[in-house]
Amino acid sequence: MGAGLGLFPLEYLAVLDPFSDEAKSLVKSSPPVDAMPLEIIDQAINRVKWSTREMVVPQNSKAIRDDVLSFYLMCQGVASVSYPYSREVRLISDMTRDTIRYRMYDLFKRGGEDFCVRTVQRSIKLVKLDGSDLDIKIPTEDIRKLRDQEMEKDGVDIVDDHVLPQYMPRYAVRWVDLSPLLRHRRTELTKLYLVQGWAMLTLRDLWDFYANLIGVKTEDYIQSVYERMLDSGSPPKSLVEIGKRISALLPKGPELGEKFIRVSSRRLRPEFFPPCISKALNGVGAGLRNYAITMLLTSFLTYARIAPPSTATRIGDVVDDISVVRDEIAPLIFEAAERCNPPLFRDQPQEKASIFYHMGFGMTIEPKISDSGKSKWYRPPNCTKIQMSAPQLCNPDEFCRKIKNPLTYYFRKISEHAKTGKGEKT
Amino acid sequence: MMMREATPEERRIFYKEEWNKREIPDFILHSLSLREFGFDLDGTGPSHRYNQFITVEQLENFMRNRAPYSAFASVALYERPSAREGWLKSELVLDIDAKDLPIRSCSCPPGKVCERCIDDARKVAMEFAETLSGDLDLHNIHFVYSGRGFHVRVTDESVMGLEQNERGQIVEYVTGGVVPTDITMALGYSKVFRERAARTFNALNEERLLGIRGLRKTVIQRLMCEKERALKAIRDGKLDEIFSFEGMSQKTFCSLLGFLARINSGFADGKVTIDTKRILRLPSSLHSGVSMKCTLVRDIEHFKLESAVPKFVRERNDEK
Repeated sequence: MGAGLGLFPLEYLAVLDPFSDEAKSLVKSSPPVDAMPLEIIDQAINRVKWSTREMVVPQNSKAIRDDVLSFYLMCQGVASVSYPYSREVRLISDMTRDTIRYRMYDLFKRGGEDFCVRTVQRSIKLVKLDGSDLDIKIPTEDIRKLRDQEMEKDGVDIVDDHVLPQYMPRYAVRWVDLSPLLRHRRTELTKLYLVQGWAMLTLRDLWDFYANLIGVKTEDYIQSVYERMLDSGSPPKSLVEIGKRISALLPKGPELGEKFIRVSSRRLRPEFFPPCISKALNGVGAGLRNYAITMLLTSFLTYARIAPPSTATRIGDVVDDISVVRDEIAPLIFEAAERCNPPLFRDQPQEKASIFYHMGFGMTIEPKISDSGKSKWYRPPNCTKIQMSAPQLCNPDEFCRKIKNPLTYYFRKISEHAKTGKGEKT
Repeated sequence: MMMREATPEERRIFYKEEWNKREIPDFILHSLSLREFGFDLDGTGPSHRYNQFITVEQLENFMRNRAPYSAFASVALYERPSAREGWLKSELVLDIDAKDLPIRSCSCPPGKVCERCIDDARKVAMEFAETLSGDLDLHNIHFVYSGRGFHVRVTDESVMGLEQNERGQIVEYVTGGVVPTDITMALGYSKVFRERAARTFNALNEERLLGIRGLRKTVIQRLMCEKERALKAIRDGKLDEIFSFEGMSQKTFCSLLGFLARINSGFADGKVTIDTKRILRLPSSLHSGVSMKCTLVRDIEHFKLESAVPKFVRERNDEK
């Protein structure tokens, strides 16, 4: 163990921040997935049902390493059977947040407040109100009210010297530094106590905000893994197995069911399509038509509508009603083809069958569910490939900077919209 | 003051004789080549988009030659403004349109504005700016009289990279559009909300309050009878004082606050704030719909509408 921060070794930071350099260096020296020890695999799966004490990691190198590796395995497993911003991903993110928050609380109880604060300071710039140069006077009455609010949130009504310090506003952070949390609606500006640009925080808030930040990073990490998997084909079987076992442990919601069939409740939302897809939908000129319609639009619309786990290789694996393809997806593609100049099917009528071919139904214009798997179901190309093959389609907006595949643009937009409270239920 | 539409000839005179590139604010001038410019050339809408000007002289040529009905510049800075590509950052904007204020002290017909409601909008802009600089500690806050209201434009670097969700939350905070968890705190959002709620409540009459579900007419009448006392109680967050009004329960008070919050949120157009690619009327240009100059306001407290009246309108008035 390396030099520590007070009572705790520096290496221990990895269990509070799986994205820290300390954690990443542990991952670098990890065995490949197929050679991962069984106990780490079990830990990755069981993380989702941890109760409080199981979240605490003993202070030894092996336990720290196992924790970090099992975290990454869990994320990669979920990415291989789900899709970004899905309910499963959200549950994993929330569970990670709860784990980190409990670990902070546990450390605090064991006299590790300084260690917690220094961990948080690596991600969020904060100052202690006592002894800082901040010239802010908070009325005593407000301090008491903030404390009571925090205690009420936790259902604590007895003021005890041991628990009290965590409920007192003792830190301040610039509100703009909390913007990732505001963006993901993990906190709200109107719920912060702001004075001169500083948000006053209790130790409890600090754990909450920090844990939420790790939750947000977890979602982003799963997105990046999903995008890599889209590019590289099917994920390794061992990861899929882990993902399936994790999914089986997650509480069942309306979208979760056998074979991940959640199609009936999800309709396409063109207002959330990325610029390249909107452009293709409006029709394109000769030279670009085949790529825009047959390659890009066909794969994007089927994946966006069906939202399959990355393990699904046939539409028939996730859809049992062909009307989804015939009545919802295909008309959009055909209309876009008609808008091309010249219309795509006028001089290339065979492209109609080619569209279903790219959906995996073989060369046909009358697809049936039983035909799925006759050809390959093409995945949406990533942004780099689109830029290389059809740069005219790529007109990125600011949202594009956060994604590497048009599909994740769509899922993320829907998720963010839903978080604003305006989102239609899907 | 008559706010009637400018004729093509008046526009031509304005851009030939009066328009001055020096009236373009520095915060736009210094990033001119990174902004997208849009124009409404004939009063049919700003359809002439994707324009980029590398120098202010190029813009000057365009304005003098085309005498646009309206001129706009993006709040966003781009690597390639003429393609609206390579978004770099955007100003934070609050749009206070006098014609859309949920409460106006005048009796203008809907869609119209007068000096009084423009002054109402000015006061709202001042309130918003105070919260932006006080609670949120933002600097570089500019006021622009747009012709029908005011734009509060913030070029503080700390907020220019924010995305839609964060900007949406800033509007909620600044307008007092959400009921706080605790309305009695001396500082923070609680105070902002109380101030906004008191301002709104003050402007409401009995008829408007009757729209609140769950608030009985007798309670409304009592509130109206003792409006000053009710106002003070809301402004100071004195709950015991509020509940001393007969018939005012926790539930009815919550209904009242919810009602006030909904009205508060209408004082700024949230759609403008969250749109990081919005184009806004260019300060210095002519708002032809009302024949007024869109202008940077250096002293918002003492802003007088006359300072935005173009010469051709003054001459038009002299002729009468």
